[in-house]
Amino acid sequence: MATGSVQKGGAASALYDILDLILDKGLVVDVFARVSLVGIELVTIDVRVVIASVDTYLRFAEATNRLDLQAPRGGGPLSGLTGALSGATGQLTEATEGVTGKAGELAGAAKGK
Amino acid sequence: MSASAYKYVYGVVHASAVAPPREGIHGSTIELITFGPTAAIVSDLEERDIDAGRNDLMVHAEVLQDALEGGAVLPMRFGVVMADAEAVKRELLERYQDALLSQLAELDGKVEVRLRAVLEEAAVIGEVVEEHPEIADLRDALRGSDQDASYYERIRLGEMVAAAVARKCEAEGQEITLALEPFALAVDANTAGHERMALNASFLIERARVADFEEAVDEIGRVRAGRLRLKYAGPLPAYSFAALPAAP
Repeated sequence: MATGSVQKGGAASALYDILDLILDKGLVVDVFARVSLVGIELVTIDVRVVIASVDTYLRFAEATNRLDLQAPRGGGPLSGLTGALSGATGQLTEATEGVTGKAGELAGAAKGK
Repeated sequence: MSASAYKYVYGVVHASAVAPPREGIHGSTIELITFGPTAAIVSDLEERDIDAGRNDLMVHAEVLQDALEGGAVLPMRFGVVMADAEAVKRELLERYQDALLSQLAELDGKVEVRLRAVLEEAAVIGEVVEEHPEIADLRDALRGSDQDASYYERIRLGEMVAAAVARKCEAEGQEITLALEPFALAVDANTAGHERMALNASFLIERARVADFEEAVDEIGRVRAGRLRLKYAGPLPAYSFAALPAAP
């Protein structure tokens, strides 16, 4: 069922994938108390805020360079190596994207004990 | 159930619904409080002020997921606690009865599907450099330059790339939304979570059309493989499409 670049959570989606729905959407009534969240605040801030920082710009600038090394016109043995290197960098980026969720899970797990 | 205990409220269902047979927050029993044609899914809380963590969020989501299997459900936002059973009846079920009933009718047989699309960095930056000679030129000019001396120029290059990536995200997001809109009754688009996120949206879909929708998402994934990553979550209770009017 899951094909190509589609990653599916189905009904049992990872909490991280639906966290903002549970926290931001759904019904609220004006006469109610709200439980306090332990260790979740940090995650939700990361989920909600996009920071276009100097770091982002420098990373993008750097990425344009990697790109050129990746696809040289001739393509010698070296190009294969740099291609693999930039592939590894890509995986690092993916891993970093996952860190926010992990940090939240850890914070949550600590509380759950 | 203790009538005087604080009630944690998960959502609202038709009075004919059955309470999901599972443990509620803090190990309590899930029950229904019924008033007329609607009922609230609740569980007891010993104190009003509790600290909630990951497990409680999971329980909230799972209770509502179970309720969805039984029929229409209006999910509450996480964390709603009411004073007692009487308050649930008066302040929620009675007070908002008309709105609750019409939303239950409206959302019956419908589910929410959450879709996120993220552009792959290598692919999208490749396109950006190829399509913008000024970016390629600046990149070439900076090559081999002293890192410190070129600091501000590198930031300028990155800004140009970021702006071009943002435009690509917007275009891609619109294209995906357009392709999927025919399968959906409503779309709730949210702010992107990071700089390469093209889409962060919820779609309201007839249960009977979920398979078609999923097929359409798969097709988008196939066509854009290597360029775009999609994250699909659902079917979910209609978190993004349930709302109460201002206090009646």
